[in-house]
Amino acid sequence: MAKSLEFKGISKSYPGVRALNDISFTAQGGRVLALLGENGAGKSTLLKILSGDQKADEGEILLNGEPVSFHDPQAAINAGISVIYQERQLMPSMSVMENLYVGSLPKTKLGLYDKRKLYNNAKELIDRFNIDIDPVQLVGRLSVAYQQMVEIMKAVKRNSDIIAFDEPTAPLTDTEIKILFDIIKKLKDEGKVIIYVSHRLAEIFQITDSIVVLKDGHYVTSLETAQTNETELIKAMVGRDIGDTYNNLSRNTDFGDVVLDVRNLKTPYVHDISFQVRKGEIVGLAGLIGSGRTEVARALFGADPVTGGEIYLDGEKVSFKSPREAIDKGVALCPEDRKEEGLVMQRSIKDNIAMPVVDRVSKGLLIDPDAIRALAEKAVDKYSIKTPSIEKISSELSGGNQQKVILGRWTSEKMETKVLILDEPTKGIDVGTKAEIYQTICDLAKQGIAVVLISSELTEVINLSDTILTMHNGHITGCLTRQEATEEKVLALAMLE
Amino acid sequence: MKKDSFYIKHIRPLIKHKVFTLILLFIAMVIMFTLWSAIQGGRFFKISTFKNILNSLVISAFLTIGAGCLLISGNIDLAQSAIGAFGGMVLATAVKSWGLPWYLGIVIGLVLCAAFGSLNALLVTKFRFPAFIGTLAMASMARGLMYLFSSIGNKGLAANIAFNNAPLSFIGAGSIGPIPLGIIIMLVFFIIYGIIISKSRFGLKVTLIGGNPVAASLAGINSTAITYILFINSAVLGGIAGVFNTARLGQGALLALQTNQFTGITAAILGGISFGGGAGGMGGAFIGLLILNTFQIGMGVVGVNPFWVNVFSGVLLLVALAFDFIAQRRSRSVLKAY
Repeated sequence: MAKSLEFKGISKSYPGVRALNDISFTAQGGRVLALLGENGAGKSTLLKILSGDQKADEGEILLNGEPVSFHDPQAAINAGISVIYQERQLMPSMSVMENLYVGSLPKTKLGLYDKRKLYNNAKELIDRFNIDIDPVQLVGRLSVAYQQMVEIMKAVKRNSDIIAFDEPTAPLTDTEIKILFDIIKKLKDEGKVIIYVSHRLAEIFQITDSIVVLKDGHYVTSLETAQTNETELIKAMVGRDIGDTYNNLSRNTDFGDVVLDVRNLKTPYVHDISFQVRKGEIVGLAGLIGSGRTEVARALFGADPVTGGEIYLDGEKVSFKSPREAIDKGVALCPEDRKEEGLVMQRSIKDNIAMPVVDRVSKGLLIDPDAIRALAEKAVDKYSIKTPSIEKISSELSGGNQQKVILGRWTSEKMETKVLILDEPTKGIDVGTKAEIYQTICDLAKQGIAVVLISSELTEVINLSDTILTMHNGHITGCLTRQEATEEKVLALAMLE
Repeated sequence: MKKDSFYIKHIRPLIKHKVFTLILLFIAMVIMFTLWSAIQGGRFFKISTFKNILNSLVISAFLTIGAGCLLISGNIDLAQSAIGAFGGMVLATAVKSWGLPWYLGIVIGLVLCAAFGSLNALLVTKFRFPAFIGTLAMASMARGLMYLFSSIGNKGLAANIAFNNAPLSFIGAGSIGPIPLGIIIMLVFFIIYGIIISKSRFGLKVTLIGGNPVAASLAGINSTAITYILFINSAVLGGIAGVFNTARLGQGALLALQTNQFTGITAAILGGISFGGGAGGMGGAFIGLLILNTFQIGMGVVGVNPFWVNVFSGVLLLVALAFDFIAQRRSRSVLKAY
């Protein structure tokens, strides 16, 4: 019987977000199916449900026509489903053969494990794929590509019928990609169901047979790879109604002189980055995850080393060796991960707001509690942070209010912020609060702050920014004004090979 | 109405405060020992008991302050008592073998301790060693160097170095009026460090680093400099404990502070300083120290076998850690809910 995998009405919600909404499609054995969508379209969530890592709220998965339900990843593996994630799930200090056969090591009569048999089994498996790996090699010593192959072989060894790949080519070189594709073709010829998640359109045309497009957790369409083209795909991935959120914003239209001037900036992660931000202007950085947006932000803020190029602030050349130096010159960063990088979660709102200006709200060596309190009260007022008291512990605030605390930190009267970098300012924040934060960002621009906005939400970055820069692979690939930017154009530039 | 607001404003925060619970625990412990010794026909409330408790406090107090400050910043120093013992031996060697005046001996000892502290900090900040491992290695080195110093002027053999020095014996055992000098110095230290941790700019930065080092550094707090200061501080306070030990015994002892390896950390955690950093203060640490010492001496007064005293001290630490971890886990589950 032909193998098949069917998703039927899968829905999944997280607090404040509906990640998947009634997703239904079928993947056939002997074919490669691409799962395509922007950041946050729901691809990863779907894979997590498939692998038993998360449970769907509604709907079911049919394996070869039979409904299945997994309580944990092991149950999914036993049922013949292997999901190969970007993060390897191997033991780096063990050999290749031990990794391949962990859980089913061949035993000798004495109950010890049979190293000779293990070696032979592993060798046989590796030879089937025609890969040049020594079974006794430690996995930690292998390149990323070979580690990935070990993981694929593990899936094959388990005799999995369904093998799903999550962005497998992201860390690979061209030659390695070719080897991977050969393996995928071999698996396909064996009649397995292959699900392939990737952002890279060129690869999708090279390796897949059909394409399912997701958008904001909704199923959009199914296409035969041979009968479609890039333009049609990009169109399918974008094009939702924007609503009035952006039209009702009161924006700044009066830009001043150039505040931030970046020329040929280079770090270990990004290359040849040049752009300017004027007083009161919002410049958006658009691009896929891993395109280098956050790395640009960190370099501007002195958090990552700069290896080349120049940064000018108000015409003066600067080079920051630490965030402290950047802060003192008026550059501020709201990091992407509020909990890990933004706030000290178990401390009060007021401590978190005073954090960068502890030395400026003091009486000699001692802190001035009244000054700190006044500073925090003002921020709570200005951004209408919903809290009974400034003594409240930050972890007890909602995501939106936490973000406002960080905004309050960087715009307090003790700060002289000229450039504010916002990395994913609305991540994980509900729709209502998002609108508030959008208006806040526009207000900050009106006050003359130069804003650099990073967002994975295309509509957000396009509609909020005055100028949009697209990034791909550590380079800036395009520059559009809000008037000329469309999601299609931005996505095409961001996915450019 | 007015009564209510007084209660909410002043009484409730007091009850909710961790230190308040600790004081209750301390009182309960004193009552327990009083009853226990009464049953045995003895008396717990004796001048000698209190003298014992207070005297035993002094040396552990300096260790506790140093360890506590580091713990609040999310770091740990396992070498502290070994460095202190080394400093104490340097003092004895300086006085006895080199014939230096006592104050120079103390200064040399503490400067060398500070050097050890900055090495600890270097390992943790520059080379990114886990503090646990790095300071453990340094502990071994400090003990080794202590033996080396003790063998100077002793034909290459390691041995206790005894000396006669009036100012040092005054430091070790003298009193001002009825109060031992050591106790006065200890209380002054607790008050100064209490102000530093709870009221100063530096203290707020230490606590914020302990709460989230990444966020603190992205908010412009220089965690490297602060880590250096705290490790040096921990080592120098260890050295002061070593100096007191040497002064009190009248000799640089090979086994100095051997039983105090974890005293500072234990007392600090008992006193509500979070093992993961970011919470706690010197008031709590002081009560933690009181609880630990009263417990150990009280056990002796009621005649519990000394081996069991160690076992029970371990249990006490486990209980304190369990409370800390439960509190942490609860705050983490709050985080998850968002």
